Amino acid sequence: MRESKRMFLHYVSGIIILITGFVHLVSNNVPGIGTAIHESALYPANLIVLLSALLYHMLNGVRVILMELIPGRCAAKAITWIVFLVGIALYIYGLQVFLNLFWPMG
Amino acid sequence: MAGKEVEVRFKVFRFNPKTDFAPRWQEYRVNVDRSTTVLDALLKIKEEQDPTLAIRYSCRQAVCGSCGMMINDKQMLACFTRVLELNSNVVKVAPLKNYRVIKDLVTDFGEVFQKERQVKPYIIRHDVEELLNPTGTYKQKEEELLGYIQFADCIECGMCSSACPVSATDPLYLGPMVLNRAYRFIADPRDLGFEQRLEAIDSEHGCWRCHFAASCSAVCPKGVDPAKAIQLLRRALVKRAVLGISSSKVSELIPMPHIKGKLELPKGWQ
Ligand code: SF4
Ligand code: SF4
Ligand code: FES
Repeated sequence: MRESKRMFLHYVSGIIILITGFVHLVSNNVPGIGTAIHESALYPANLIVLLSALLYHMLNGVRVILMELIPGRCAAKAITWIVFLVGIALYIYGLQVFLNLFWPMG
Repeated sequence: MAGKEVEVRFKVFRFNPKTDFAPRWQEYRVNVDRSTTVLDALLKIKEEQDPTLAIRYSCRQAVCGSCGMMINDKQMLACFTRVLELNSNVVKVAPLKNYRVIKDLVTDFGEVFQKERQVKPYIIRHDVEELLNPTGTYKQKEEELLGYIQFADCIECGMCSSACPVSATDPLYLGPMVLNRAYRFIADPRDLGFEQRLEAIDSEHGCWRCHFAASCSAVCPKGVDPAKAIQLLRRALVKRAVLGISSSKVSELIPMPHIKGKLELPKGWQ
């Protein structure tokens, strides 16, 4: 993937964090509409989108910082892959936490 | 007459990597008047006090971009800076930051020119035959010219890349001088080389690493605003990546019957 696509997703994920973060705050703190969201399927769906956007935005930011601090073409590729794999691991872990929270087994 | 003379102390950075263990500051006293530039003063030092001082210059009129240096800790052209304008009895002169020092005030631009080659800083077209044997001229609207003319004013003094904090930490970052150069050609309606430049400008060390603090534009002696060129480059890249709109345009060829004949290359150029 070219850097322009990665950075475009970075900006888009930033906007998604603002929106889903706002929905999350409302659903936890505002009686009425908040309670309604909290009790509907929108609440876990919003959290999953928030998690995805947050992880992408955060890890891409870490990737950019590391690439600036550790120069070298090979280093840049290695950093991108390591951060990608860490992201996948964290995402799976996060999804599993949500699964246990919202759809507990047994 | 240029008026009354004043004595000014010059603290000059001296370093020859071939013979010196570490750099040192050397002081000189020079009489200057209101017309004396920093370059004039340095040449006076070289002629009258110390012929071993190394300086690079050529045009003496802010055109060639050779004499950029740190003057009182700021990137400036020595030939374009009057000593008395600095309002200081002591003038500190050092080589440009972010470049390897060849000797004293002379820095090595080899690396930055190597990076510049990656962005192909020339008009790229498919009609090579027309370029070699022109039959007309390419049409350009005034607004198309205004879209890149500011960025074409760059004299490649390298001072923007010297002021750039990202160039200081990431040696692979293309830097404002090179990215401005890339945008100058991408925005030119006669150029068709956008796709060919992507590998360099849209890479991990391309235009996305800019922090947009605009230190580069603040030191540009020609008002080029390379930080703006980088933002426009990003806009062109996002348009291409998301909307599939490539920035390359085709400018119409207006036939000119009086332009004919083969382009004569000088002997030995073939
Ligand atoms: S953009 Fe300005 S500072 Fe940078 S190289 Fe060109 S003229 Fe010099
Ligand atoms: S705006 Fe970008 S290119 Fe210019 S000095 Fe800042 S980081 Fe460097
Ligand atoms: S000597 Fe040419 S720009 Fe200063």
